[in-house]
Amino acid sequence: MPPLEKKNNKMLPWLKYGIGGAVVLLLAYNSVYFRKLDEVKAEASGKFDAASFAKNFLEKQLSPKLETAPDIDELTTMLSTDKNKAFDTYSHATAIGNIRYFLVKGQGKIVKINENDLTIQTPKQQLTLAMEFIYGNALRDASGEFDITKFTKTADINNVSSELNKLIRASVVFPFRPKAKEGDMVQFAGAVALNKEHLNLAEIEVIPASLK
Amino acid sequence: MQTTLESQKKRLAKLQPLIALFVLCLIIGLLSDKFFTVSNFWNVLRQISVNICLSVGMTLVVLMAGIDLSVGSVLALCGAITAGLFKMGIEVPSQNLYVGFTLLGASVAGVLTGALLGFFNGFVITRFKVPSFVATLAMLTVARGLTMLWTKGFPISGLGEQFAYMGTGWFLGVPVPVWISATVVGLAVFLSDKTKLGRYIYAIGGNENASLLSGININKVKVIVYTIAGALAAVGGLMVTSRLDSAQPNAGTGYELDSIAAVVIGGTSLSGGKGSIWGTVLGAIIIGVLNNGLVLLNVSPFWQQVVKGFVILLAVIIDKVNSKNG
Repeated sequence: MPPLEKKNNKMLPWLKYGIGGAVVLLLAYNSVYFRKLDEVKAEASGKFDAASFAKNFLEKQLSPKLETAPDIDELTTMLSTDKNKAFDTYSHATAIGNIRYFLVKGQGKIVKINENDLTIQTPKQQLTLAMEFIYGNALRDASGEFDITKFTKTADINNVSSELNKLIRASVVFPFRPKAKEGDMVQFAGAVALNKEHLNLAEIEVIPASLK
Repeated sequence: MQTTLESQKKRLAKLQPLIALFVLCLIIGLLSDKFFTVSNFWNVLRQISVNICLSVGMTLVVLMAGIDLSVGSVLALCGAITAGLFKMGIEVPSQNLYVGFTLLGASVAGVLTGALLGFFNGFVITRFKVPSFVATLAMLTVARGLTMLWTKGFPISGLGEQFAYMGTGWFLGVPVPVWISATVVGLAVFLSDKTKLGRYIYAIGGNENASLLSGININKVKVIVYTIAGALAAVGGLMVTSRLDSAQPNAGTGYELDSIAAVVIGGTSLSGGKGSIWGTVLGAIIIGVLNNGLVLLNVSPFWQQVVKGFVILLAVIIDKVNSKNG
């Protein structure tokens, strides 16, 4: 009996390494795959082009809607008197939640140039125009023209926002920013994100889509 | 009589985190009608899953009287590596070859990276006798820098539904991250309570010199524990990346503090040798409930930090008082 026990003990490490090796091989086999690089690149070029979509969306869907957007002062008046009506009439969103987006337009005087934004005095209120952080889904969703059901991938939906924001930053904000001076009048149109449950009209920030 | 009183005191000290959790839930439940809802229950558990993974690894390290400050950065790097390999694979233009990674492959690569970084921590600490605080602080910076290099400072997004399942999916009516963290906890409890390695960890934390003299290979145990902590940080990284559908270069910033807080609140002594995985789980739940409650009560995020800080301080003071009273 004792020799048999000894033999078993000696076999155990081999069994251990054997099982371990098999697991590693199985894992490796299911972990990587190899393809020709040119084939992969050719496939990738046929993927959804978020940049082109965003450019097209800005020109053909968002910009025409900016002209009919409510005046920011009228909108805030309505929000303070009849919040539900204002949200039902003018706001849009693609996601569930309290955050809703409004297209707005207006004009006012630049009263302060801050590091990341401009403080604007409109006839009825003071607000900020974003100049540095153009992000989020406000520009994509505020018009109500963006049809989320046409997309199957969440990434594509997010990339539209990302590309649209980049486009606005490059084509609207960058050319405008160096010319902006305190005391100048500015005509703006863009999007605003507001929380329906915790509405704060004292700190409105407009993400610009058009600046004159 | 004296002995009975002392044993009751000890039992009460062990139950402190549980009592604290109960009181916390009661207070928040009274102040917010949304707290005791099923959706909020799963929400809290889902949110704490990442911290539980980090904290379990941290508990093993702290039980040995060490500390691992690098877990947040390791989490970010491993999440980024997993996302990068899964989404972009590796291109070898000279061979016209593309090496693609399946979800399994990318995840394994991420976890192995975490384990490797943890191993490196352990190696530096044991081989060069660098204090764990300093070694892991250095790794915190190194891993964050590597994350920035790997991602070029930009998020890696659009990982797809298959990837998102790990962080957002449900299995048998329970969120997948909760399954993952429960498995991690189960394995860690087994390791700490039922294995030789677990006993060595407690022994080293209790008295390192005595452990050495009794024949425990201290360096080996330490390296293993830091490797485990790194691998668990990587698991946390996978969950965060999956949940956000994006690997953020700055992900996990400050997570090391949350995990240390969970460990301390859970009753694990920072001087080592005393504590448990279950205590840490309770600690993580307390932090999660506290965060959730403060959000539900509309407390400013700045105040949330202050409150959390004081809770940690209170936990340490209670630990000190308990230690003094024997």
